[in-house]
Amino acid sequence: MIVKDWCMFCGECAGVCPRNLIEVKEYSLVFNDEECKDCSTCVKVCPVTALEKD
Amino acid sequence: MIKTDVLVIGSGPAGSSAAKHAALGGADVILIDKKSEIGTPKRCAEGVSKAGLADLKIEPDERWVTKELDGVRLVSPNGTNVWLTSNEIELPEAGYILERKVFDKYMAMDAARAGAEIKIKTLAHAMRKEGNAYIVTCEHMGELFEIEAKIVIGADGPESRVGRWAGLKTATKSTNMESGIQFEMVGLEMEKSDVIEFYFGTVAPGGYAWIFPKGKDIANVGLAIITKKTGKTPYEHLKEFVANCPATQNAQAVEINIGGDPVGGMPKKIYGNNVLVCGDAAGQVNPLTGGGIISGMKGGMYAGKVAANAINKNDYSEKALKEYDELIRDDIGPELDKYLKVKEYLSTLSGSELNSIADAFQDIDFEKVSTTELIKSLVKVSPKALLKLGKLI
Repeated sequence: MIVKDWCMFCGECAGVCPRNLIEVKEYSLVFNDEECKDCSTCVKVCPVTALEKD
Repeated sequence: MIKTDVLVIGSGPAGSSAAKHAALGGADVILIDKKSEIGTPKRCAEGVSKAGLADLKIEPDERWVTKELDGVRLVSPNGTNVWLTSNEIELPEAGYILERKVFDKYMAMDAARAGAEIKIKTLAHAMRKEGNAYIVTCEHMGELFEIEAKIVIGADGPESRVGRWAGLKTATKSTNMESGIQFEMVGLEMEKSDVIEFYFGTVAPGGYAWIFPKGKDIANVGLAIITKKTGKTPYEHLKEFVANCPATQNAQAVEINIGGDPVGGMPKKIYGNNVLVCGDAAGQVNPLTGGGIISGMKGGMYAGKVAANAINKNDYSEKALKEYDELIRDDIGPELDKYLKVKEYLSTLSGSELNSIADAFQDIDFEKVSTTELIKSLVKVSPKALLKLGKLI
């Protein structure tokens, strides 16, 4: 996942991730890409369009 | 390894409330928060009811109350106003607008004074069950360490990872996650400076826009939407709202806040062996307004009390912790259910139906208003809206 540099780490993506794969640190996001099934739910809910599939 | 009776993950109002009450009940408590400053950044419009604070036995403090409110203004899609101020109606929901950055810290300080140990800038990284305890892997300044806790209380916000690590189904469906965005602005020109304003219709599909005054010419101006109901981003909606709203023509943003708000109500199960979840992590949010400070703190209070009891009795089983579920659902359950129904009803109304209802209500003398009166007015303006309402009641 590409995290744009305007991400504000609100964690909305983590809350809707059906597989609980997103760790929201204070100033970074860590995706468990290995387990990700590309459902894109996180990409769609981001309030500031800061996520992009790579 | 660090060992404790109760580990609370997340020091928002719900987590601090849980830590405070668990410590007051005699448990050893550690409260961790991943942020370097508790309460910052805020993800909230900061409204709270006076009755709610009183229920929690929290005295208002001038350092975190920015504005005392006198009422509500509802604005329909075509701009029709319904004013509900103390002139028109005895308000059941009088309240304050807080300074969350200060309030949250104060609540954490209360937890510390009650005996909880606070660890800031400490992230819960993973969690595993070992015997009759949870081992939580934490990260602080690049260092990993473990905390063994007899009971873990997840107050980790809309992300709600803790509950899911424990096998609870606390994920929020994207259709139940409102996407919120807000400016804190200066230079507001509000018609009444002590009234919270709600705007409905296409300004915020699936949600509403708000202006919450914070004293002088300052206010939180924001909106929440359901992403699937609109082709625009929340930010685009907010910029449009601010460009068109009369009160914000000369206002400027000094802060931008974003965040998800779980408005689907509480998940079926919010407790398990050695674990409880509270606050946004447990959907303890008013589904209509999105407000969750008081309901989350009540969740925290009951979670803390029940956890302390369980520690005193040496029984951290699901059966022992079930009392938490009963207490919180007895307290806020009926209200959450009621607002969920109203929300579902409102979401079935078209913009023109909302306009006609607002049009009828703006002339009502609210002192004489009863449910019957409201229904009579609704019959006159929109029989279709009433039919929809009938299906819900």
